[in-house]
Amino acid sequence: MRFVVRRLLLFVAALFGLSVVVFAALRILPGDVASIMAGVNAPPEKAAQLREQLGLNRPLVIQYLDWMGALLHGDFGTSILTGRSVTSLVASRASITFPLIILGLLIALAIGLPLGCAAVLARSARVRAAFHVLAIIGGAVPALWSGLLLILLFGKGTGLVGILPSQGFPMDGWTTPGRALLALILPALSVGIIVGASLMRYTRSALGDLADSGYIDMARSCGMTRTQAVLRVGLRLATPQLVSVIGLTFASMITGVMVIENLFALPGIGNGLVTDVGNRDLIAVQSELFLLAAFFLGVGLVVDVLHRILDPRLKSADTVSEVAA
Amino acid sequence: MSNTMRKVCSPGAGETAAHTVAHKPLRRFSIVLRSIWRRGEGKFTLIVLALWLAVALVSLVWTPQSLWTTDGYHVWAKPSASHWLGTDGTGADVFSWLMAGSRTNLLIVVLTVALSAVWGLALVAAMVARTPALAGTSVVVVDALISIPTVLIALILAVPLGASIAVIVVACGFGYGLNLARVARPAALLAARSAYVESARANGASGRRVLVSHIIPNILPVLAVQLSLSAGTAVLAESGLTYLGIGVPSGVPSWGHSLATSVKLINVFPLTVLWPGLIVTVVVVALNVFGDVLRDAVDPVANPALRQAVAQSAGAADNATTNPSAAPVARNTGVSEIAEDDGEGAER
Repeated sequence: MRFVVRRLLLFVAALFGLSVVVFAALRILPGDVASIMAGVNAPPEKAAQLREQLGLNRPLVIQYLDWMGALLHGDFGTSILTGRSVTSLVASRASITFPLIILGLLIALAIGLPLGCAAVLARSARVRAAFHVLAIIGGAVPALWSGLLLILLFGKGTGLVGILPSQGFPMDGWTTPGRALLALILPALSVGIIVGASLMRYTRSALGDLADSGYIDMARSCGMTRTQAVLRVGLRLATPQLVSVIGLTFASMITGVMVIENLFALPGIGNGLVTDVGNRDLIAVQSELFLLAAFFLGVGLVVDVLHRILDPRLKSADTVSEVAA
Repeated sequence: MSNTMRKVCSPGAGETAAHTVAHKPLRRFSIVLRSIWRRGEGKFTLIVLALWLAVALVSLVWTPQSLWTTDGYHVWAKPSASHWLGTDGTGADVFSWLMAGSRTNLLIVVLTVALSAVWGLALVAAMVARTPALAGTSVVVVDALISIPTVLIALILAVPLGASIAVIVVACGFGYGLNLARVARPAALLAARSAYVESARANGASGRRVLVSHIIPNILPVLAVQLSLSAGTAVLAESGLTYLGIGVPSGVPSWGHSLATSVKLINVFPLTVLWPGLIVTVVVVALNVFGDVLRDAVDPVANPALRQAVAQSAGAADNATTNPSAAPVARNTGVSEIAEDDGEGAER
């Protein structure tokens, strides 16, 4: 319990620090929103008037407190360029990005976990080497390229087996779930393959360390075969570590799929953020960055707590050290 | 390559001790290079990296077509004798741009690795500092910052800077430096609290001297792996960021630029898509594997030839003697320390 409280305090402190960093980073930009909105040829008075209107010429501390106060009330501001509220912008983008990364993660798990186990269980050195090569190559492929190759293979119009849509998301969104899901298959595959390779490496190293440990010897001396011991005892022991990795992978995929969203013309979170940065849409970028950072920190918090629950050894180690102290 | 190195670098047996010490770095370098070359995957990485360097240098003086020749009549052309991989939307030669891209990527990788090494080592020094407040704060700060993805840092930087090489280098160098610090901390801490550092301090060694002659040698294997990984990841990051328009500015050749161009060429001549991605993949594989072979080669415990050289020069040098003999101990216990540290990390 003390652990959770301490972790929560750190979370809040980090969140506060991040908000300051994000705010400060965006205020030192040379070209500000007002002059961009006013247009290239507009007279400077117009930009000044806009600046006044948006409150951009107030002291920075006031601006920051204003923003923070609104955030605490759940108001993330309004995108200056589109006039939509950041909340609705992010919500509509998230409705594409989250299904995409969940699908991608499922594909990655379906690839990574079995291959990682197989790499540990393989008896012949040659097969193990082949798995090793596979993992290394999988981790070296640029996301853009895996997407391009999949388009070449399966994309409608360009592909050898042109069966899947490779551009855009249906306008009516999830009201036609079949078409929406179909549009996500290729992007999710391109991400899933790459993330799968990294999950495979983690699984292999976590299981591989355990396979040489006393736990497995013990299980085998109780009559399990090596395969049984690794899959039953080893996987359970590796679970806390793997859950941590999978959680953090999930978080990093939000920005990791940026390139893929762009390639497949999906209006997701990453793609939207890049557009807003390009437009210097200050308010939107600021709140979006904050939300993303909060999400990363939040996932980190959940992962740490989960890790503790799944691995009771940490807790007992803690009590021992507390008693000792 | 290794033959010339051998001729130049290995001093004869009859040379004076002073001479040997003067040649020490070069000699160790040649030993490391030779032990990498001896392994199959080491040969592969050295060849790929040497080719990369060669192409980058050649592209400075020669490319099949000038980068800036644009030919309005041959826009989106298919591969031909004069344009080996076709032309892009402005009629520029795709192959020449791909070739010239290697120098930009080389520059980015060198700068990123240098920045992450300096920043990472500074953090390591702070984390193992003897002032508890400094050490404690830096550990917490690294833990907090490490969860921010590189792309986000790049996006924040891109707001004021626009698309530029600096965005890639600073964002990647910053992020990878944090990783480096976190991974290297256990081994560095072990060295910093060791008896030989204690005795060096008692003899009046400064903090910087302890860092350079005791801590860095102990974390050299970790450094080798982490920096090579950073190099590979920087190449991948370049391609992604440049494609998104916040990396290498348009008009500057880079592999990310070539990949982005190949996206547009997919409807013209699909096979063009293969090349830039293939080059990036091969180079990143080579860099990642290079980390592993380099780790084994720079580790006196794993590399007998180097151990011998270190022991010889340690006999000649003064108080460095404690270091190589302590290295095996430090390495072995370093593993359990890492495992313990995972527990601690989760606790925070």
